[in-house]
Amino acid sequence: MALSGIQIYKMLPQTNCKECGFPTCLAFAMKLAAKQVELSACPYVSDESKKQLAESAAPPIRLVTLKASSEIKAGNEVVMFRHEKTFYNKPGLFIRVKASDPDLAKKVATADAYKVNYVGMDFTIDGFAVEADGELAAAIKTIRTVSKRPLILMTKDTTLLDSALSLLAGESALIYAAESSDYEPLADLAKKHKAALAVKADSLDTLADLTQKIQAKGLEDMVLDLGGKNMSEWLARSTQVRKLAIKSNLRALGYPVIAFPCDAKDEGIAAAQAIAKYAGFVVLSEFKPELLYPLLVLRENIYTDPQKPIQVQPGIYEINSPKPDSAVLVTTNFSITYFSVANEVEGSGLPAWLVVTDAEGMSVLTAWAAGKFDAERIAKSIKSFDVASKVSRKRIVLPGHVAVLSGELEEELPDWEIRVGPREAVDLPAFMKQALN
Amino acid sequence: MQHTITFTHEDKQSTAIVPTGAMLSDAAHLAGLDIGQPCGGQGRCGRCAVQVTDGNVRRRSTLRLSPDDIEQGYALACQTVVEGDVAIHVPPQEKIERRLTTDRVVAEVTVPADYEYLQDQTVRRVHLRLSPPTMEDQTDDWSRLQTGLRLQANVNKVNVSLALLQTIGDVLRAGEWDVTAVLEYPLEHLEQPLRLVSLQPHHVDEYSPLWGCAIDIGTTTVSVWLVDLVSGGVRAQVAEYNGQIARGEDVISRIMYASKKGGGQELRQRVLDTINELLETACKRVKAKPEDVVKATIAGNSTMIHLLLGIPASNIRLSPFITAVNHPPLMTAREVGINAHPEASVDCLPGVASYVGADITAGVLSSGLDTAENVTLFLDVGTNGETVLGNRDWLVTCACSAGPAFEGAGVVNGMRATTGAIEEVWINSETFEPTYRVIGAGKPKGICGSGLISLLSEAFITGIIDKAGNVNLMASSSRVREGAHGGEYVVAWGEESESGADIVLSRVDVDNLLRAKAAIYAGFTVLADTVGVPLETMDKVLIGGSFGKYINIEKAVQIGLLPDMDWSRFEFLGNTAVKGAYYALLDWKKRERITEIAKRMTYIELSADNSFYEAFTSALFLPHTDMSKFPSVAVALSSKVKGRRSNVGMTE
Amino acid sequence: MPIEIPKDKWTGSIRAVTIGATSAEGGTRAKSITVGGQTSMPYLHYEAPMPNKPVIAIEIKSRKPDDWSPLLADAWGEAMADPAQWAKKAEEAGADLIVVALTLADSPEDAVRVIKSVLSGTGLPLIVWGPGQAEKDNELLVPISEATKGEKIVLGICEDKNYRTIVATAMANGHLVQARTPMDVNLSKQLNILISDMGMSKDRILMDPTTGALGYGIEYGYSVMERLRLAALQGDAMTQLPMIVTPGFEAWKTKESKVGEGVPEGWGDWKARAINWETLTAIALVESGADVVVLRHPESVKRVKSAIEELVAV
Repeated sequence: MALSGIQIYKMLPQTNCKECGFPTCLAFAMKLAAKQVELSACPYVSDESKKQLAESAAPPIRLVTLKASSEIKAGNEVVMFRHEKTFYNKPGLFIRVKASDPDLAKKVATADAYKVNYVGMDFTIDGFAVEADGELAAAIKTIRTVSKRPLILMTKDTTLLDSALSLLAGESALIYAAESSDYEPLADLAKKHKAALAVKADSLDTLADLTQKIQAKGLEDMVLDLGGKNMSEWLARSTQVRKLAIKSNLRALGYPVIAFPCDAKDEGIAAAQAIAKYAGFVVLSEFKPELLYPLLVLRENIYTDPQKPIQVQPGIYEINSPKPDSAVLVTTNFSITYFSVANEVEGSGLPAWLVVTDAEGMSVLTAWAAGKFDAERIAKSIKSFDVASKVSRKRIVLPGHVAVLSGELEEELPDWEIRVGPREAVDLPAFMKQALN
Repeated sequence: MQHTITFTHEDKQSTAIVPTGAMLSDAAHLAGLDIGQPCGGQGRCGRCAVQVTDGNVRRRSTLRLSPDDIEQGYALACQTVVEGDVAIHVPPQEKIERRLTTDRVVAEVTVPADYEYLQDQTVRRVHLRLSPPTMEDQTDDWSRLQTGLRLQANVNKVNVSLALLQTIGDVLRAGEWDVTAVLEYPLEHLEQPLRLVSLQPHHVDEYSPLWGCAIDIGTTTVSVWLVDLVSGGVRAQVAEYNGQIARGEDVISRIMYASKKGGGQELRQRVLDTINELLETACKRVKAKPEDVVKATIAGNSTMIHLLLGIPASNIRLSPFITAVNHPPLMTAREVGINAHPEASVDCLPGVASYVGADITAGVLSSGLDTAENVTLFLDVGTNGETVLGNRDWLVTCACSAGPAFEGAGVVNGMRATTGAIEEVWINSETFEPTYRVIGAGKPKGICGSGLISLLSEAFITGIIDKAGNVNLMASSSRVREGAHGGEYVVAWGEESESGADIVLSRVDVDNLLRAKAAIYAGFTVLADTVGVPLETMDKVLIGGSFGKYINIEKAVQIGLLPDMDWSRFEFLGNTAVKGAYYALLDWKKRERITEIAKRMTYIELSADNSFYEAFTSALFLPHTDMSKFPSVAVALSSKVKGRRSNVGMTE
Repeated sequence: MPIEIPKDKWTGSIRAVTIGATSAEGGTRAKSITVGGQTSMPYLHYEAPMPNKPVIAIEIKSRKPDDWSPLLADAWGEAMADPAQWAKKAEEAGADLIVVALTLADSPEDAVRVIKSVLSGTGLPLIVWGPGQAEKDNELLVPISEATKGEKIVLGICEDKNYRTIVATAMANGHLVQARTPMDVNLSKQLNILISDMGMSKDRILMDPTTGALGYGIEYGYSVMERLRLAALQGDAMTQLPMIVTPGFEAWKTKESKVGEGVPEGWGDWKARAINWETLTAIALVESGADVVVLRHPESVKRVKSAIEELVAV
């Protein structure tokens, strides 16, 4: 059970010594409660408190890392809904390949080289799931000539696995998958090669039994395959497992989940559900950028920290199909600020270019007060969005609240006319009609 | 290129020579004119409008000027640049009305029962009889004085400033070796030497007053209490608007102004002038001189303290919002520039963070929050919306920018609570006709903070505005109409008002008020949430700030500014900061307690995550999005809802 | 080991809202559509059965749009020039409802005529959106509302600055309203309160929490919807309304859907990607509790519909 800041505070020395880097013990306690700092930062905490706090801090879902040259983590999640805190570890997207595929090297190389940019971030795939329908070790050798990404090995054949895993020394692969009937040799093998083991069962009861037995053999890194005959069944199980781990603290099911949209009726839809609903690893049937890109974006969106202020993408927005002589309005990227400006102008039917400046998600006045919306930043936006190439009339309308910036902005943008607009968005249409001609 | 700017003001002419592109306000300053800039020269308030009668200027912004105004040559001095020789007519400047006359600032204050001058006070008077030097005893004056202190006052080690040292020879001889010293005992580190504050010739009666003063530098108002340190009694209380107001109404505007060339120096001088005038007035009242004041204790928000000390304040407004100093060292009046005794110690009380300053730590001390057994909430209802929550075990604090709406600024017909301000409004729910009360009982000039709270509440309860603050234009009254900024409600027709123009509550005003009340409400709810203490378990809600004296609780609850709880739990404390400074001035133990309070207070930065924003948007509604938090308002609404529906044509 | 499945015990439920009226109900629709009525988070059948499944509306315009993606123009062809034809084709494509979006160019007479023709072209219930400019919306929606009295059309889009006229006419003529707020739980609640304060029955409001497309703020809409649904189940009466979302409109605004050339290679095949963009946006919203999903491309309709069937299957 998570403790509140005040509850934790009562277990701390309460000396406000500042050695932890926070001004007071209560400030430190609140950071602890928010899991933003380690208890070890406090040199004076008693052993008794340490023990109590450690129990409340243990992650309900085990962190499992698949590793090669790159690594992908799953687990350590603490909430059911992203708004309650955030989702931490983005599910790894794996491309399924067949060991017997004559084009294996080419397919892996193509997928491995895939890189796509989304708002300044480069996305790639996370690894490959290799179906051992032929010589697994040979396939691994082939793959390793073109890709150094983490692997999922899909076979129960311990001989194949043993030789394949021997080639992957120093890595952490995932073996897929152990079931009640065959878990023992697979668990031994996983332990021997420091691999993670996927476990599979038809019901959660059986699954929990299985993880406990495997754990008793000394293997900790497990991943759950929940099965499920359709989307609704998978959703129910995934929700139940997450809730059992987080709310009921059931360690036997406190492991990340692997999903196989590649086997679903509509792969894109099943993958989207898996990403939104708690999967830790997602296996796709083949490399298809037209699906991969939207899935990578969806994953990024769902795993964005919701505690950050709601922002819109800085950029130049077109309202009511503006023409080169339409007004250029400037505002910040705080979503509500943007919406109120955009809605007023949109509603008026007047065409305009709306330049949204990166003010770290603050409203006009707050951003200005904090130095995040100044002449320099506005000028930078005007230049980097290349507003000059879109308009014939170089005239910018500043929000009235920052009239004070007009002088500096004139210096920053010498060929532009700087106009001061109204302070409230509601007065914009009237201003545009009367003053901008 | 240089241009000549000629100003005409109250039939007098003055000129300034400035280059092309100079700002009119700067030219006016050069010409020795004082044009008020309540927004700090940011072009927001429109109060610096002047009339260009001849010549070329360029208006960067014409905010708050109508096309007619511009036609007549009006321009904002802070937003208009010179492009040639120009003639300017400066209209009469707004006079700051002085509501702060004696009667209204005198707080009831009693000397703490346990005050013992000889034990609690850090400055004390010592009478010394020294033997005169002779040819045999050629001890130097300073050693002689030190020996006297050791033998007659048990003081082994004492420090003195050069300035004082320069005078002791004369004083000793003027008193014929019979002198009275004022010593300052060190605060925290007892091994440190004492300090000689003053030396006067002859014996001064031990029980005659020894003067100290407690000062609170508010963003709006400066208060000074003159205190006899011997008896502990407050002998004079005076207050005045902070002279910096003419250069910005809120702390951000001041910080901005201070970062302009010479701005910091000007603001420093302005507040010193205010303090020194107040000190003079207070001393006159007790027939003392400012130089008799040997100790000053100062509370004030962090920006005010920085500006007083001439310390650059710009980092206060910039993320991550770091002050130069939260707890300034002890200084002397000479260093600070206060016209008390030059050696008088000036003690700026410690603050917590950029937006939780010494006014709040002093307020916590005087409210007793830091010793309370039960969880107590302390609210400073003002521009900076500081809030403290806690008890004797823990204290948390936050600040939220509420804006100056409740002080009448940023509201079309808003004004300070001076003569002519509408301070309370009642609206008939059938006819929508208002009744109002005006300070000074004359014609209304505008609406002050308490009037705005009252008006907002009445407009809401009667259905003139909906819960989101939209003016209901379907309401059948000529007082509800479409104005320049959307719907508005006419509180006083032109024929009733002082200026002859209608006094209205506009949509923009409602938005500003909603934001102000939402920020304050959100501040304390987030604070309570952060530590996991439900609002309803709060034992007491203490409301500070001079504004706090005039709030009508019922209305404040109806608009969702204060939580809906038993009214007996609210307590209005008035100016808690100056009171805290007074306690700290008297008693070193209380002074140490403020240091402890500042150390113990955990500052919560509200902008660190979304929770404040969430709480803010849910409070941005009348009274609140979650009506279950305001059961008494739900009752008030349901009792009026029938009449309202039939009036606005909403019957089904 | 036998595992006890944890179930949430909610006290609140979503209101069931019926759109459209058959002749027996005072209108002319072939059938009416009921959404809402849930008593658990979406598709958790082990907690509670789902009385009504989410439905799909297809958005058509009163005039042939000139700014729609050529992919959409290919899909609908000539029918785009005739709203009645378009509506019929949309019905064939699997729509449960038709959204008719009016434009600024429509006169009140045009608008009434278009709506009447759509009503005769399809038996599905309608949602009618004004062009999104307060005065124009009111000017068009009031005559439509009066001319279609009793049809239980959803009139939109009410926003906090302009809701009174639309709500008043909907109340007077037995219609419903769509209440839109910009991705914020509190603002959603506030608008619902304002509308119901006017006397509108909460059984006649669809709330539109607004959502960004995939890559354009979908996470905000997604979480706002989850939070609204949680608040509703916890008993907050002002959030217990079915939700309508517009992934078609949002997704087809994006460069990823609109543009086929001069885009990064990593985006893959245009048509497949564009449809994935709309479909995946829609699916994320379906997972977070959407009741009415407004789409544009027939292929997305098919895919989302099939996913909904799978999700409601017990």
